[in-house]
Amino acid sequence: MWFHRYVSAAALATEPVARAIGQKSDCCAVVTSGLTKRFGKRLAVDGLDLLIPAGSITGFVGPNGAGKTTTIRMLLGLIRPTAGRGTVLGHPLGHSREYLPRVGALIEGPTFYPALSGRENLMVLARLAGIEKKRVDAVLERVGLSARGLDPFKTYSLGMRQRLGIAAALLPVPELLVLDEPTNGLDPHGIAETRAMLRSFADEGMTVFVSSHLLAEIQQICEHLVVIETGRLLFQGDVEELLAARAPELIVRTESRVEARRLLLLVSNTGRSARIVGDNESTTLEIAADCKWAGDLNRLAMAGGITLVHLAERRSTLEEAFFEITRNGAKQPIRESECSPSAARGSRRATKAWPPEARRP
Amino acid sequence: MIWRSFTSEWVKMRRRRLWYGSYGAITGVVVLTTIVTIAGALHHANGRGDLTLAQLAHASGLSQGLTQSGVLLGAVSFAIAASQFGGEFAHGTLRNLLVRQPRRYVLMAGKCLAVITFLVGAVVVATMVGICAAFVMAHLRDVPTSAWTSGVGMGDLGILLGDLAISACGFAIIGMIAGVLLRSSVIAIAAGLAVLLPVETILTDAIPGTARWLPAQLLEAIAQGGSTTAPFGAALITVSAYLVGATVIVMLVFVRRDVTA
Repeated sequence: MWFHRYVSAAALATEPVARAIGQKSDCCAVVTSGLTKRFGKRLAVDGLDLLIPAGSITGFVGPNGAGKTTTIRMLLGLIRPTAGRGTVLGHPLGHSREYLPRVGALIEGPTFYPALSGRENLMVLARLAGIEKKRVDAVLERVGLSARGLDPFKTYSLGMRQRLGIAAALLPVPELLVLDEPTNGLDPHGIAETRAMLRSFADEGMTVFVSSHLLAEIQQICEHLVVIETGRLLFQGDVEELLAARAPELIVRTESRVEARRLLLLVSNTGRSARIVGDNESTTLEIAADCKWAGDLNRLAMAGGITLVHLAERRSTLEEAFFEITRNGAKQPIRESECSPSAARGSRRATKAWPPEARRP
Repeated sequence: MIWRSFTSEWVKMRRRRLWYGSYGAITGVVVLTTIVTIAGALHHANGRGDLTLAQLAHASGLSQGLTQSGVLLGAVSFAIAASQFGGEFAHGTLRNLLVRQPRRYVLMAGKCLAVITFLVGAVVVATMVGICAAFVMAHLRDVPTSAWTSGVGMGDLGILLGDLAISACGFAIIGMIAGVLLRSSVIAIAAGLAVLLPVETILTDAIPGTARWLPAQLLEAIAQGGSTTAPFGAALITVSAYLVGATVIVMLVFVRRDVTA
């Protein structure tokens, strides 16, 4: 209600933003504009303009204290934004009771009553939401906890606790699944299981919004990415697009150090950037080129009497991109993908800023 | 909506350890105070108004034997309610509940009703066991009990049961308020009991007449069916005003406050 009052007061001045949000909310599960949260003097979230395409798996990454959990809590109606507006599943943020029945969430790790069994913990939530008992059994089955459903939560391993958290999120048959660090503390097997589970959710048409520190995981499962730091949006768009924006490199190794230096000279003469990696004895070169130029490079080396013992293309990882974004965050322009189903599928569409009216001075 | 919240809370409160612990503690308190009261009854009046064996033999003797448990019963009720509400913040389970039930006042009302029904049940069970203890003690002290089972005696017992239940509910609501405001069961119980028991007692002894205004003193008076300083009706009205006012404030705080736990 309070949020509505805020919106009403600001509506006259920002009518174009409201229209833009309305348009975007048709194709996006979550749309926010200028979402801000201040705790006393500390600005936790600073004017966040989010677009989470419907039906996509969107990764939400940022360093510790970046404002990810605060943002998620605002989307779930647990924290009141200081400023800004947005929609979740087409309903305004202030009306969480309208959209939460269609949202599943695991926030900051799984927290349940230690003395109750996994099943009883889910029953507490199911009764609260008016969900049938058989759905509890179905979600326990879905996350592979049927056999341990009657055991007390306090006896569960960390992996089982995470799975119970996901089961709780699945209780309402969600259209939007918000998972905060679902792989925290899991072993590689548990991480792989969670990854498979998230993929299956997306295959069923759910929009999955997942925050994680594990960038390799995000790269593997997410089509869309949101990067924030100190509460500010640094990037949002397709993961593929982000990685493609970074120039690929050819990694070449010669038989000797002398050959490496000669190859460096030959490549430099073609106008391409190259460097020897490592110390003076290194025989490895990094060349700024993609695999299309590998043939030319091979011919160039052969013509120069240089033997290549290794030639491969190296694409940048999300981790490298993340560090580059967060290092240069203040200088880089914000890039946002067009909100469309194709963007959700990871197409390399041109990026455009959105919504221009929403930009704060 | 409140029904859902109520039944959801009962899933939690059905667990055996909570049941045994709470019902055991409340029953223990009632039985203990009944035994101590009847065991300490005087053969002859001492002029200070202390209970005598002759008074115990009256129709109201059974309820007089049980009535002293009001404050301790209230303290246990307070602790149970404070832990039920404060624990949601401390465990971080409140966020799960609020995602499934965003109407916070509905969630709180349902929880509150569930805790109150739980405690009323505990008071009834404890009183039944206390009655058995009273009969045993009466037999040991050669107090005739035929008047206890008369119509008047049963009527007094019913009134006592109602008074104890109202008092326990009042303490439980104060526990709920402390749990929500302090967001920790340990702090809520420690701070609440410190204020309700020693601080109020000291204030009552130090400043005459304050028993008419202090909540724990008023609830104790209600449990005893009224006292000379705080008659039942006045105590009930004053404490109801306190609890309604405090509950409204706490509801507003709970509805508006960010959930960061």
